Amino acid sequence: MDQSRIRNFCIIAHIDHGKSTLADRLIERCGAIRGSAQEQMLDSMDIERERGITIKMAAVRLNYKASDGQTYQLNLIDTPGHVDFTYEVSRALAACEGALLVVDASQGVEAQTIANASMAMNQNLEIIPVINKIDLPHADPERAREEVESAVAIDASDAILCSAKAGIGIDEILEAVVQRVPPPAGKPEAPLRALIYDSHFDSYQGAVAYIRVKDGSVKKGDKIQMMAAGSAFDVDSTGVFSPGLQVNDGLECGEVGFLTAAMKSIGDAQVGDTITLVNHHATEALPGYRKALSMVFCGLYPTDGDKYDELRDAIEKLRLNDAALDFEPETSAALGFGFRCGFLGLLHMEIARERLEREFGLELILTAPSVDYKVTTKSGEELHISNPAEWPDQNEIAAVEEPTVSATIMVPNEYVGAVMTLCQERRGTYKKTEYPTPQRVILYYQLPLGEILLDFFDKLKSSTRGYASFDYDLDDYQLSDLVKVDILLNGDMVDALSFIVHRTFAYSRGKAMVEQLRKVVPRQQYEVRVQAAIGAKIISADTIKPFRKNVIAKCYGGDITRKRKLLEKQKEGKKRMKQIGSIELPQEAFLSVLKVAE
Amino acid sequence: MTPLAIYVHTPFCPSKCGYCDFNSFAMQGEIMDEVIGAMIAEIERSPIKGTPAKTIFFGGGTPTYLPTHLLLRLFEAVVTAHPPVAGAEITSESNPGTADAEKFAAMRSAGFNRLSLGAQSFVDSDLRMLERVHSSEEIVRAFHTARNAGFDNVNLDLMFALPRQSFDAWTQNLERALALKPDHISLYCLTIEPNTTFYKKHLRGQLELPDDEAQVAMYDHCLAETAAAGFVQYEISNFALPGKECAHNLCYWHHEDYAGYGPGAVACLGGVRGTNVKHPRGYVEAVQAGSELRFDAEPISEESRRTERIMLGLRLNEGLPTDGLDPDKLAELARRGWVEWTEDRVRLTSEGRHFCSEVALELI
Repeated sequence: MDQSRIRNFCIIAHIDHGKSTLADRLIERCGAIRGSAQEQMLDSMDIERERGITIKMAAVRLNYKASDGQTYQLNLIDTPGHVDFTYEVSRALAACEGALLVVDASQGVEAQTIANASMAMNQNLEIIPVINKIDLPHADPERAREEVESAVAIDASDAILCSAKAGIGIDEILEAVVQRVPPPAGKPEAPLRALIYDSHFDSYQGAVAYIRVKDGSVKKGDKIQMMAAGSAFDVDSTGVFSPGLQVNDGLECGEVGFLTAAMKSIGDAQVGDTITLVNHHATEALPGYRKALSMVFCGLYPTDGDKYDELRDAIEKLRLNDAALDFEPETSAALGFGFRCGFLGLLHMEIARERLEREFGLELILTAPSVDYKVTTKSGEELHISNPAEWPDQNEIAAVEEPTVSATIMVPNEYVGAVMTLCQERRGTYKKTEYPTPQRVILYYQLPLGEILLDFFDKLKSSTRGYASFDYDLDDYQLSDLVKVDILLNGDMVDALSFIVHRTFAYSRGKAMVEQLRKVVPRQQYEVRVQAAIGAKIISADTIKPFRKNVIAKCYGGDITRKRKLLEKQKEGKKRMKQIGSIELPQEAFLSVLKVAE
Repeated sequence: MTPLAIYVHTPFCPSKCGYCDFNSFAMQGEIMDEVIGAMIAEIERSPIKGTPAKTIFFGGGTPTYLPTHLLLRLFEAVVTAHPPVAGAEITSESNPGTADAEKFAAMRSAGFNRLSLGAQSFVDSDLRMLERVHSSEEIVRAFHTARNAGFDNVNLDLMFALPRQSFDAWTQNLERALALKPDHISLYCLTIEPNTTFYKKHLRGQLELPDDEAQVAMYDHCLAETAAAGFVQYEISNFALPGKECAHNLCYWHHEDYAGYGPGAVACLGGVRGTNVKHPRGYVEAVQAGSELRFDAEPISEESRRTERIMLGLRLNEGLPTDGLDPDKLAELARRGWVEWTEDRVRLTSEGRHFCSEVALELI
């Protein structure tokens, strides 16, 4: 294909603004799939479909006959729709020359729209504003247009009005992609430089790298090298997405497609790395590569201690197609053998847990999520600590630094006070306010990442009746006065329940943790004392009274089904309990810390 | 045809008690005629019409809240469709506030031979708190009315673990119940059910319920007192003079089939358990339209049947057969002192009766 007739573009949107539906319509319009298309075909994992979010990116090649009579090759690259995957979004954007900025006509611009749009602008993408869902009763395209202009600061006078659901405006979008998105600018004769913007793992072919050829070309049999990782492979196959993988003769300059090369794990095809040829080597890698950075850490343990080996196999397999998942073995006095795992964020953690349970049939206990702290000891040693159990003795600590994020919060005027209060309670540092529209405000805060883990998003939603939207990006580490709070059950410390907290919150959150545990730990046959402590000092205590009996209730013909279902539910719950000494703890107990910032 | 247990549900009560989550409604007048008419139609159209009745049980609601002529018309329809076998137990529930000598006599001569009185407590403050319509004095009167009408098989329902109930109050309560010399006692722990006014009070912390230790003491005291008065416990909540065990309820606990008529009535026939439309008006409309009366019908799987047999069998003092049960689990439960078992049967110990659900959970 003539490079001048290639267009690489993506769709950026706030969650629920209709990105997947629009992608489906574009695909259908270009005939990439005939007949009854599976709804939202770019989101391929079950979990993505269930949650209605995009985690794993894919791409699709469309052949579009434009109004100028020419056929164009349009490569639609999908981007993940969640803040956990910001780096992946940036790599997908780097594979494009243009982006459709989709805004819901009734919701207007949201925090994620702004974050993604500014990322796209930084990469010099041509942005085409699209106002979606114009057929809905509360649609106000004019207001949405104004918001795009003032909040994103781009000209939206020629924004395309569309309804992906009703199929309105689809042709206009495709024409705009052809006319406004520039063709790829790479040099066909230069040494190969291909950006890996995503990958997946296939049990037969190994890692499949999703690439954008920036310079040169690549075909089967080529000897390639990863410029950051240094490793070299022989190309087995190349191909394109239609949307299934379709092998072809090679990928030319400017094209988007995939490449396999007997890469044994997903780590061999790292997102952001540059592929070049061993014998025709590029001098400089494409910019923007970084290793996937874990932001949230937790322990993963099998409920049944005998299943440790199964868990290890499962995590290793999962790791084959989830490059962002980090893990190493760890031992907990309370939980036995398990793994310390690093994730991009809470959603990523939830998904990994769900996949491990669903795809590998495991029952797991997750310990309280933590961030990565930098602790400098009095002897001058600098430690990275993501497991509260490894926190040094308070007397040995010289300084602690914690990771922060820069947060963008968009909210209607009347909730500004509530949001500012919440951010202050979470130790936020106010940065600035912007007023993109008369009705809405953008607040910029620097917040400790650890505080965001504690139900921040839910709190934000509930204190703004669901109107706030929120996005964040990793910021610097900052010095902070942090201490470890331990939890003791019947006098024994349960290391998996320890958490790190700012000194000023230690008492209130220690108390909240004890209260939360009293709520979620079912009564046992013995009395259970719950205590929170800093070092040897008890800061809060309560007891869970033993249960001495079940309820003696009637059970006649009309009660049998209900009672049976209740028993079955209890049985299911019991299976998920973790025995710590003589105490049975449910999964919720380990996540209690997420609720301490009430 | 194998005789069957027949349950008949009359959904009307003088008023709704605060703890009650039964399918009952404080309605009267024309709707009573309509519902009874519809129930008679349901019975006459029943596909199992003609099957003899092993037992008949009128529950509710309060069957005796119905005007006598309606109650008897309904009864007539039931025994016409399901002729009782010789010596069949035929029970009606009754609220002591609805006791009436003429009504009881008419019921007795029509063929009812067992009366179950919802006494609940002999302490007037308890009865007010439970929002019962009767006083303790009325229970005594209702009991004698039943005896005078010729009922020689009378049950008293009692509740324990009531808010602020003391052990002493419970002792006296039980004494007054036993002093009447009933033939049968059913004993329930107050259970806070969702969708009741008690539930709301409980959530607001307004019910001061006795703690576990106190409840255990009350239950154990009842075991001792009833035994001393010649009663035999045959089910976790039920005590009878020898020969006066409730044959109808035993059908449930033995996991036998049963028919059910009326709004919200549950039937279990041929491996399917179904529930009729609950609201009286919806029920009447469904009967008149000739449409499906059940709003749910669940075929009971092999696994569910096993679970139910364990759950129900453990309630009985005779216990249940051990086949299909894990001997290691049984041994472990026996070590804890909760069950005793032989080669072929297992049953709860008196300690184990406090942990009936726990034992069931281990065995299912």
